[in-house]
Parts: sequence; C-alpha cells; structure tokens
Amino acid sequence: MIAPAAIMIFLFYLMPAILTGIFAMTNMSTATGISGGVFQVTQGAVNRLGPDMPELASGIAEPRFVIDEEGLAALEALKLKPGYAAELRGQHIGEVFASRREAERVIKALRDRPSTREVKQISDLFNRSVLNTRFETREALIGNLEKLGFKLKPEEQDKVARETYTGWVWTTDNFKVIGNSPDMAKIFLNTAFYVAVTLMLFNVSYALFLAVTTHYMPPATASIFRAVWLLPRITPVVIYVLMWKWLTWDNGFISMFMGQLGVPPKNYLLDNAYNAWFFVILINGFIGASMGMLVFSSAIKAIPQTHFHASEVDGASRWQQIRYIILPQLRWPILFVTCYQTLSLLASFNEILLSTRGGPGRATEVWSLAAYHTALNNYTGNLEYGLGAALALMLVIIGVILSLIYLRVFRYDTLISKPLIED
Amino acid sequence: MRILLDKFSKSFGNTKVIEAMDLEVGSGEMLALLGPSGCGKSTTLFAICGIHRPTSGRILFGERDVTSLPSQERNVGVVFQSYALYPHMTVEENIGFPLTVRRLPAGDIKKRVADISALVHIDKLLGRRPAQLSGGQQQRVALARALIRRPDVLLLDEPLANLDAKLRLEMRSEIRRLQKETGITAILVTHDQVEAMSMCDRIAIMKEGEIVQIATPSEMYNDPRTAFVAGFLGNPPISFLKGKALGGAFVSGDGNFRLPLGSLRNVGDGRALTIGIRPEHFGPSGDLAIEGKVAFAETQGRENLYDVVLADGSVLRSIQPVRDDVKLGDCVRWNLSSEAAFVFAEDGRRL
Ligand SMILES: Nc1ncnc2c1ncn2[C@@H]1O[C@H](COP(=O)(O)OP(=O)(O)OP(=O)(O)O)[C@@H](O)[C@H]1O
Ligand SMILES: [Mg+2]
Repeated sequence: MIAPAAIMIFLFYLMPAILTGIFAMTNMSTATGISGGVFQVTQGAVNRLGPDMPELASGIAEPRFVIDEEGLAALEALKLKPGYAAELRGQHIGEVFASRREAERVIKALRDRPSTREVKQISDLFNRSVLNTRFETREALIGNLEKLGFKLKPEEQDKVARETYTGWVWTTDNFKVIGNSPDMAKIFLNTAFYVAVTLMLFNVSYALFLAVTTHYMPPATASIFRAVWLLPRITPVVIYVLMWKWLTWDNGFISMFMGQLGVPPKNYLLDNAYNAWFFVILINGFIGASMGMLVFSSAIKAIPQTHFHASEVDGASRWQQIRYIILPQLRWPILFVTCYQTLSLLASFNEILLSTRGGPGRATEVWSLAAYHTALNNYTGNLEYGLGAALALMLVIIGVILSLIYLRVFRYDTLISKPLIED
Repeated sequence: MRILLDKFSKSFGNTKVIEAMDLEVGSGEMLALLGPSGCGKSTTLFAICGIHRPTSGRILFGERDVTSLPSQERNVGVVFQSYALYPHMTVEENIGFPLTVRRLPAGDIKKRVADISALVHIDKLLGRRPAQLSGGQQQRVALARALIRRPDVLLLDEPLANLDAKLRLEMRSEIRRLQKETGITAILVTHDQVEAMSMCDRIAIMKEGEIVQIATPSEMYNDPRTAFVAGFLGNPPISFLKGKALGGAFVSGDGNFRLPLGSLRNVGDGRALTIGIRPEHFGPSGDLAIEGKVAFAETQGRENLYDVVLADGSVLRSIQPVRDDVKLGDCVRWNLSSEAAFVFAEDGRRL
C-alpha cells in the first residue's frame, strides 16, 4: 500500500512545493518563457552594459557593415552583374564601415554602377549589425562581435552573454528584490495585520463564542443555530462576497440607508483603507469562524456530561464552567484551529480578490494576493513567475515557522500525553 | 439537615421514571437507596442535587423549599459514580475547586485542601492528576471534593462500584466514619445490599420508581414487607416455595410438604401462597423435616452453600458451617425453622 500513497504524495504534494522552490530560484517571466532562450542584443541589454563597458555598448548599438566572404557569396548568388562581387573582393575585402551611408558610398562608386535599388540590396548583404539579431548560441554572438572588431576578455564575454540572454537563468535576485522593496514591507505588515486580527477576533474568539453559546442551548435550537452559522461557508464565495458588495456599493444598502439621513452615497467598501479592512476582515471572519465553531462544538460535546454536572454541584457559575472546565479542555482544538487557520489565511486571497482586489490602492493587498498579482495577473502584462514563486515560497516558510512556534506556545508535549490522563 | 421529597415525580419525555415518591431522610442520617438497575436511584439523586428538575412535587432541605433552586445554591456534595474528576486539574485543584469558584483566598483554600485530604489519606498525592491515581485514590479525591465546602447534604452514587473487595471494605468504614464525624445527612445509592446494610442507618428499597420499604437494615432483613424486599436482601438470597393454604397450613404444589401457618392459620383455604425461607433457616436443626437432592454444593471457607431440589422441582438454599459429609447428588433430609418462614400473598405482599 505504500507505493500508491508514495506516488500520490510525490505527484500532488511534494512536486508543487518543489517546483515552487525551483521557480523561486529563477527569473522566469513571460519575457523569458519557461523553456530555453537565445542571445539577443536588445536596447535593454545595451543599456545594462553601458555603465561597465561604455565603448562596447555604444559600438554594438551602431550598425556595422563588413565586406566579407559570406556577403560576397550571397551577392554572387543574387546573379547581379558579376563585376560587383569581383571588385568588392579585389579592392575592399575586410573593410568595416560604421554606418550604412559609408558602406553605400563605396558600393555606389563601383565601376559597374549599381542602381539605387541594387545598392540597397547589396548593402543589406553586408550588414553585420548585432542590435536585435538573435543568435542561437553564445559562440555565435561572441564570434560575430569579434568579426566586428570587438576584442573581449573572457569575463567581458561572460557579462555580455549574461546580459543578452533572453531565456531564464538561476538567480537569487528574487529574494533581494523582495527584501529591498518598500512595497513588500507594506504588504508584509498588511498580511500580519490581516491574519492576526481575523484569526484572533473571528476564527478563534468568535468561533468559541458560537460553540459555547450553542452548547448551552437546547439541542434542537443548537442544531438550527449551527446550520445557520454554517451558511457563509456553504454559500459559494462569489455570491457571498457579492452580497457584501450590494451592502457596501454606492447604491447599496448602506448608502441607501445613509441617504435617508442625508449622507451622499459612496462606496463604503473602497472608500478608504479602514473601511476596506473592516469589510475584508468581516467577510473572511464570518466564513472562517464556521470551522472553529464545528471543531470547538464537537470538542465540547466530547467533555463528559458529568463534568458539567459536577461543576454545577460544586457551585460553578456558567462563566466559571467555561473558564475552568470548557476552555482548559479545548486547548488542543484551539491550537489546531489556530494553526490551520493561520495557514489558510496566509494562503487564501479569494475573498480579498473578489471584494477589494487589494484596494483601495494596495491598502488591502496581502502577501498571497501579491504573489498572484506578480505571477498570474498584473497590470503590465509581464508575469514574473520566478518572483511570484519566491513570494509563495516565503509564505510556506513563514507558515512552517509559525506552526512550530504555536506548538511550543501551546506546549504540544503536554497535549499529546493528555489522552493518557483523560482516562 | 433533613431532606424531604414530597410527591416527587420525574419523567423524561413520555417515560415516567419516578411517580409521586415520598421520602424523608432525617438530619445526620445516612440512608441507602437500594434497588435493581434502572429503577430510578440516580434520577432521585440528580433531582436532590438539582441537576434534574422534578416534573412535579417538592424537595425540601430542612424547611427550605429548594425545588427550583439551581445546583449552585443547594450546597450539596456529590460523589458521582464515575467520580467526574476534572482531568486537566491536579488533585489539589480538583479538591479545591468548590472553594475556587466561591473565590476564597488561595491561602484558605490551600489550608482546607490540606485538612480534608489528610482526613481521606490522600495528602501525599496532591500534585498528581486524576489519571495518575488508582481507583480508590480517585474515589477519595471525589469524596474530598464533595466534603470540602462542608455541604448540608452528601450524595454518593455507587461510589464503591469500581473498587476491589479490600478497598471497598476499607472505604465503606471510612465513608461512614466521615459521615458520622461531620454529621452530614447522606444518601448512598448502591446495588450492593451488603454495602447498604453495613453503612447506613436506614435502607430504602426501590422498584420501578417507587419506594417499596424503608427500614433499618435488621428490620428490613427480619421483617420484609414484600417478597421483592425479602429477595433483594440477604446473600445467598432467600428461596421461595409456591403452594396454597389448606387447613391452617401451607401446602406445597404436589402436596408432599406442609408448613403450619401459626398466627396466619385463618387464611382462607385454597388461597395461593408463597413462602420464603432464608438459607440459614434450612439445615440440620429445625422443626420441620424436608427431603431433597443436593444439586449444588460450594464452600465459602467458613461456610458451605447447598442447593437442595425438592420432589416438586423447587429449590431450597442452605448455608451451614463447613462439613464434608454431603456431596453433590446426595439425598438429604434437613429441617426448616417453621416460625422463621415468611408468608407472602400472590401479589408479593407479606401476610
Ligand atoms: N436523560 C434520560 N432520558 C431518558 N430516560 C432516562 C434518562 N435518565 C434516566 N432515564 C431512565 O430512567 C430510568 C431510571 O434511570 P436511573 O439512572 O435513575 O437508574 P438507576 O436506578 O440509577 O440505575 P443504575 O443502578 O443502573 O445506575 C431508566 O429506565 C433510564 O433509562
Ligand atoms: Mg445510577
């Protein structure tokens, strides 16, 4: 039975994580593609080379015309007047011209007098400019540069090759970019705020409140309440968020109500950062609390009825019952829900995407949403898979670290020995 | 403090468990509630401590009507059948819990926990959790927790059911001693008639939600009001013979055996009767010989136990000092003490 399980684990659990790790160490993007690339001296590459090798940069940006055997052979193949090729070979072989004009002056001066159209045609054959030319290999690029008279030292060759390569390469730059970006620092704080507040106020406290309230209700009433409290989780999230949008839009319920009081309508969701956070946390909270409620309810149910009877007889009020009997026995479920919900809050951004899209501005942009925007959906159209993967990888690492901290804080070792104590 | 149940009834939905029960337990008295499983013993206790509300009727502590008071305000100590110790608290926290919820100063709690735990001999275990205790130790923790806030009423729901024979004996006397020392009114629920007889001032025998008889142990044993009570008390149990009245005597089904009814000789001829004979009243000595075959023999150390099958197939039990001349399958001719036999009418009432 191990083999199928191992295959499943590898394919569907380990592979995504490994691939994320791998992508994170590359600069893959729409521009580089995900397969190999070519060497191409783009204007961008020229700009990048400028500071270190000004001569080369300005040189390769210029067009170059070289009278060489390759061009002569092509000229002969065109079957124009044979005199053109013969004279060029005889008089001008090896000459390099820095511009098309200079090359064409020489061609025009040939004894067989080529027509203007032919001059153009011939000069094209000797055009050895590298700007925007694609070379399949590094050797082709360097060879060409040499022919043009650029003698490069090996480390210069490396640099040129690196800057002109259009495919993806291994790099750790993604992490430097993340570390140095003030935007990412802001997004990090957003994430911490969002996760901490939603988790503490809703996923744990509110869920506990629901579970404890239903515990003290008659069973039939409690089931009804639980079912209703599950609705946000059961409703498709698109619809659920739409309801909130109806509530908060310019012509939504809040605006209508405030209109009665003479307040002009506005979009309460995206009006300002505070409101946006308020609603983002409410939306996520009401959906997220349902899980805690279920876990806590069943954990409370598992407490023997006699503990409640005994504590009542011992004189404990409801508050004391909650504090001394229920909460201590919910330590493990609370740890579980905290861990699980931290991870799911860190990773999920659908409610935010559907409601504020991270706005207004980037006020409610959280880490996972930033990863999504970077890798899968951004405004410039250049999707940076590598950077996105690096963002995702950091989320995974943060999640693991937080889980370890929780285990310490809740003293997992005393929790696992607890069933022994239980009976 | 006196406990009075006045026409107390309890039903769960449509199931009537207790109907119009009257019960009075005197101040400082210890009463055993004895009866077969499911007869409503726990239900009665739960009503007294306020976990269940009575469907109708009143519950009085002393002169105070506590029927609608919540458990918290009744000052009743309860030892639950399962102990109901809080698994996440230490022994000290468990015992101190009733005081903790009364917000007593921590120092006072500590002191009282120390006192009461010394009383029940668990003062060396205060740092442990319930799971690290033996059954008997848990039971004593539960007892200490029930006693610590000096309750007016102590309720014990089969507190000894889980203990081994030796511990059970030990705890019996320990509980009784504590109850007498503190003068608490106590009710002990049990299946075990020996426990009931040895620990309590009086016994109430219950059957299907009703109290059949309340009396002191010896009264109950020597003067049972019904066949059910007679059958419930005594180990080995009493044996019954069926027959009818004829000429001032009981005559067994096949007519082989006659037992003069003495003061009951006026019972009308032909009336169906059952007589009950305790095992100690059937043996070598007695005034009425009866023949049968030994179908079962067992020694209990000091005493031997025999089942004797009579000619009509009914069985008489006998308990006698150890002897080794009677074996399984032997025919014996032993005697009854006729005046010790109980005579019951057809419906089980004692005549
Ligand atoms: N919560 C309840 N709902 C419905 N019926 C109940 C409930 N509690 C007890 N009963 C019923 O009431 C009757 C008496 O129960 P109770 O627990 O008082 O019995 P008991 O005399 O304590 O028996 P045992 O010696 O086995 O503990 C039983 O028939 C039981 O099924
Ligand atoms: Mg019971």
